[in-house]
Amino acid sequence: MDLPDSPPVDVLDAKHPQERGKRGWLVKRFGLSSVMEDQFNRVVPRHATNYIYCFGGIALVLFLILAITGIMLAIYYQPTPDDAYQSIVNLTTHVQFGWWIRSIHKWAAGGMVLLVFAHMLRVFFTGAYKAPRELNWITGVLLLVLTLGFGFTGYLLPWDQKAYWATKVGTDIAGSVPFIGHFLLVSLRGGDQISAATLARFYDLHILVLPAIIVALLGGHFWMIRRHGISGRL
Amino acid sequence: MNRRDFLKWAITGFGVVSFGGIFYPVVKFLKPPPAVAGALGQATNVGALSTFTAGKLTAVSVNGQPAAVANVGGTYTAFSLVCTHLGCVVGVNGDALLCPCHGSRFSSTGAVTHGPATLPLPTYKTSIQNGSLLVGAIDLTKASYPTWYKGQFNGSA
Repeated sequence: MDLPDSPPVDVLDAKHPQERGKRGWLVKRFGLSSVMEDQFNRVVPRHATNYIYCFGGIALVLFLILAITGIMLAIYYQPTPDDAYQSIVNLTTHVQFGWWIRSIHKWAAGGMVLLVFAHMLRVFFTGAYKAPRELNWITGVLLLVLTLGFGFTGYLLPWDQKAYWATKVGTDIAGSVPFIGHFLLVSLRGGDQISAATLARFYDLHILVLPAIIVALLGGHFWMIRRHGISGRL
Repeated sequence: MNRRDFLKWAITGFGVVSFGGIFYPVVKFLKPPPAVAGALGQATNVGALSTFTAGKLTAVSVNGQPAAVANVGGTYTAFSLVCTHLGCVVGVNGDALLCPCHGSRFSSTGAVTHGPATLPLPTYKTSIQNGSLLVGAIDLTKASYPTWYKGQFNGSA
């Protein structure tokens, strides 16, 4: 996607007189024609015009839905042990459409895990991980782990019994890692027990740390797809 | 109207409806609810004063929790109906309070008159505004309530 050296306003229309007046304001001013041609005029190979090749794209759409609904939920959510559960009850029962936004977030979250996994199976069974796409497979695996990380950290936030015990079990598993297990456990919990510190840490991971990492990795993932193109047929 | 114009209108209309369908709930969502029912220490309007008959107990809901309002000669008291014994909902019958689980009885002010419960039902802070009774935070300091009991009022304390 090379930007033209100089995209002056008139030159662009002069170059393509048949396009005069047809292109948008920003397109003219920033010489976006070549960028847009590069990005949108892509031929999808016939073997890839298939639903199973859509899993990754659907996962991205679900991620965007999760980002938007997540930002909205953060408006009403209170990440402290005293208020967390009640703030979600309030969100679900009193805030208009709160139940709706929360349900979308919950179902999109489950769907994203499912779709990322399906996408991984598609890539695996069509052999799309092979050279030169090895690094994209690796970023994909990291994205899967991050998606599960979102699920794990998000599960604690309602601060109900299910959340508490799921986190207790999950962090206990981290604690069983040889040598560094205890370090992992106290790092996740912010102490030996699940407490206000755990909720603060999980909330921080869920809305700041993991989103920053996943956005960076998604950028790399998509740049590599553009660079390599869609893998060949079986 | 030709086919092209019809499709143009249809697509534009569909777009506007779709956009509105998403925009409307989002705007509604951003608007804070009128009375955050006791959720974070705010008061709940449990109804006009005239709905509380003198000398009787009236069951109300405060922040999703069962409660009762007593009207004793124009003095309004609100207390929780969560039994201090094991957390059942105490039943209201006129001016009597009987817990259906283990038979604890309470007076119309929430004091224990018959076991197995040992602690009185905790009262809520109340105020009157525009002829309506507002119920605020619960007062859990009058007896040493166990942790599981206090936990039920998290967020409204």
